Amino acid sequence: MSRDFLVKINYIVIFGILSISSLTVSRLDSPEQIIEGEWIETAWSIEKDNTNNAVSITSPVYQELKKEIFDDFHELHLGCWNFSENGKLISTNKHQNEQLKWYIKGRGHILELHRNGKRLESFQIQAISKDKMVLHLNFDLQVKGIIEIILERKNKQETNEIYAKEV
Amino acid sequence: MLRKYSTHRTLGDNLRLGSLTAFSAGMLNVASVIVFFAFTSNITGYYAVFAQEISKGNWYQGAVVLLWISSFFIGSFLSNFLIINGKGRWSQYFAHAVPIMLEFLSVLYVGVYLDFFYQDSLQETEYLVALLLFAMGLQNGLTASISNSVVKTTHLTGLTTDLAILVSLLSKKNNRQNKAMVDKFHLLLTIMVSYVLGGLVGGFGFVHIGNSTFYIICFILILIACYDLYKIYYVKHWFSRRHKKLSTV
Repeated sequence: MSRDFLVKINYIVIFGILSISSLTVSRLDSPEQIIEGEWIETAWSIEKDNTNNAVSITSPVYQELKKEIFDDFHELHLGCWNFSENGKLISTNKHQNEQLKWYIKGRGHILELHRNGKRLESFQIQAISKDKMVLHLNFDLQVKGIIEIILERKNKQETNEIYAKEV
Repeated sequence: MLRKYSTHRTLGDNLRLGSLTAFSAGMLNVASVIVFFAFTSNITGYYAVFAQEISKGNWYQGAVVLLWISSFFIGSFLSNFLIINGKGRWSQYFAHAVPIMLEFLSVLYVGVYLDFFYQDSLQETEYLVALLLFAMGLQNGLTASISNSVVKTTHLTGLTTDLAILVSLLSKKNNRQNKAMVDKFHLLLTIMVSYVLGGLVGGFGFVHIGNSTFYIICFILILIACYDLYKIYYVKHWFSRRHKKLSTV
């Protein structure tokens, strides 16, 4: 193969990579679009900790830890995360006037929550699909580990509950 | 700093270019991590992230990472393209200064955009990170190209390896008498320290002055681009004076 031909192949490959990746980004839904809607917290656990699962997730120790970590905003949302289209995290408690704002950063792998323009917390989006989202929180308490929060889209969860009742 | 090419460059030229560009790269990298949660001066990690995202079935995120890698590639490509095609058309200094000026414009655009237009959306984050990676590609392409790959300032993987090899070589007494080896050690150490210092200044700077950190980076880039202008002006002035003197005699 001549070198001129190989150079042309180089340019074609580069153009191909650019075209395919641009097309993928423009056609597929971004995490920012997928996250919109209501999500229900279905599981909460500590990953990569030192306990060797000796302590149950439902134990008071975990519950206290959860309360401590989510002291800033968990009570406001009570396990239900409603990501509205205008970037607001709407509270389930109608008496709460305080508003949180949500932002997706990085390549779509960071969920950031702001309160009154200040960063409140940032989660790593470990996985996200239309129905399920897994968030990781690297907390700065004197505990080694990562908190994993699993959320499911509200509609899907309701459908599952109806199906379970029917069964 | 920018006038000379390849082996014509002195250690001083490389030290000045290496330290200033590494300082700006360190600042930019830390500032972009704080604002966008994305590194913008090194892309080694992005190859791994790309593979990870694709293996997890995250096509969108994988495509974004691929676009970022491409931005760095295009930056380096354009930088060297301008240098090799600018020779003969423009002065050597101008051909070398154009990539730095393009980098300056990219960083300035990001700073202005963050100050006046940024809505914190993912789409904006994606293309601003791409622009910063393009800027870093330009810088790395320029420094590597004009210094014969001696100066690389946007990432430290290769530099740390080279430095480690040099430190082990310098453990032999006769190597310590080798000026070229000692000079290289000083150059690599200067680049590493400048990059880290830049990162620290970028981090502290962002806490105190926010987006204006990007304007400080612009100032450093202008300094790099214009440093040789002073020298060229000085040499021209000296020649014209000498010519006048000779003609009067």
